[in-house]
Amino acid sequence: MPFNRRRGSLRKDDDLGFCELSFQRRPELVSIVRRFVSDFYDRTLADPDASSRVALATHELLENAVKYARDGQAKVRIEVSVQGRSAHIRIRTHNRAAPEDAEYIRRTISEMRLSSDPNLYYLDVIRRNARRTEGSGLGLARIHAEAEMDVSVKCGAKGAVTVIAETDVQLSEAAVTARGVA
Amino acid sequence: MNALFQPFQSAELSATVTVVEQALVVRMTGTADLRVTDTVEKLLTTVHQQATADHVGEVKVDLRGLEFMNSSCFKSFVTWISQVQELAESAQYRIMFFSNPAILWQRRSLNALSCFAAHLITIDSTSN
Repeated sequence: MPFNRRRGSLRKDDDLGFCELSFQRRPELVSIVRRFVSDFYDRTLADPDASSRVALATHELLENAVKYARDGQAKVRIEVSVQGRSAHIRIRTHNRAAPEDAEYIRRTISEMRLSSDPNLYYLDVIRRNARRTEGSGLGLARIHAEAEMDVSVKCGAKGAVTVIAETDVQLSEAAVTARGVA
Repeated sequence: MNALFQPFQSAELSATVTVVEQALVVRMTGTADLRVTDTVEKLLTTVHQQATADHVGEVKVDLRGLEFMNSSCFKSFVTWISQVQELAESAQYRIMFFSNPAILWQRRSLNALSCFAAHLITIDSTSN
């Protein structure tokens, strides 16, 4: 894969259906990763809409992880578990964030999970943040509403933050056929 | 056709603002991500200033060649639209988005903008 060994690494295992990338602060890599995972999702899911949604989520999560990494290092892991005609997709990003950023993420996700309607919550966040000057404040709500993914967070020691977005998707006929699932 | 905004061209994004038959036309192609957030914000600020100065009735925004837009750039659109909402009703102008149905994020994101300001926004996803 076209990644500089000093800057990043790539691991891919088709049998387990996951890929994991880690790299230092290079925002231009985020779009490269989005295109790579779009291809990964396209081939695994054969569902353009699902691919588009999870690619959007991957981009937003990774961009946040890179932007708010105190040491400039971020990691993304994408898992696709296929069971029969459905797949569970889980995207995890990991970084070490400043305490106030970790607290903001924890608080935002907690508030978001209390909302019963992702789209209404998203609209509310759009209204609240329309004139905000620092950061968009929209990324997590966008993942929840537009990408239709559940979002959770784990905060660990020394500022470790893992944000997880996950969803179930029905596999298309093309994907089922390609995998030989009855 | 007059260019209002120095055309922006980078490896990822190209953006122009022009006047075509007395209408303001914004065109963005490529990818709008973290690297061009400031550019998108400045571009939309210029558009708003020009639209209000010229009392235009509508601004056309062509996103048909925009592969992706991140939430920071999306938020610049939200801010712009909220500025239009804050104008006196008689000074408000409409915004027409041209979207590409084959680029799937556009439908969801533009639908969210439309819910935010239904009275101002029209989405055309038919012409290419």
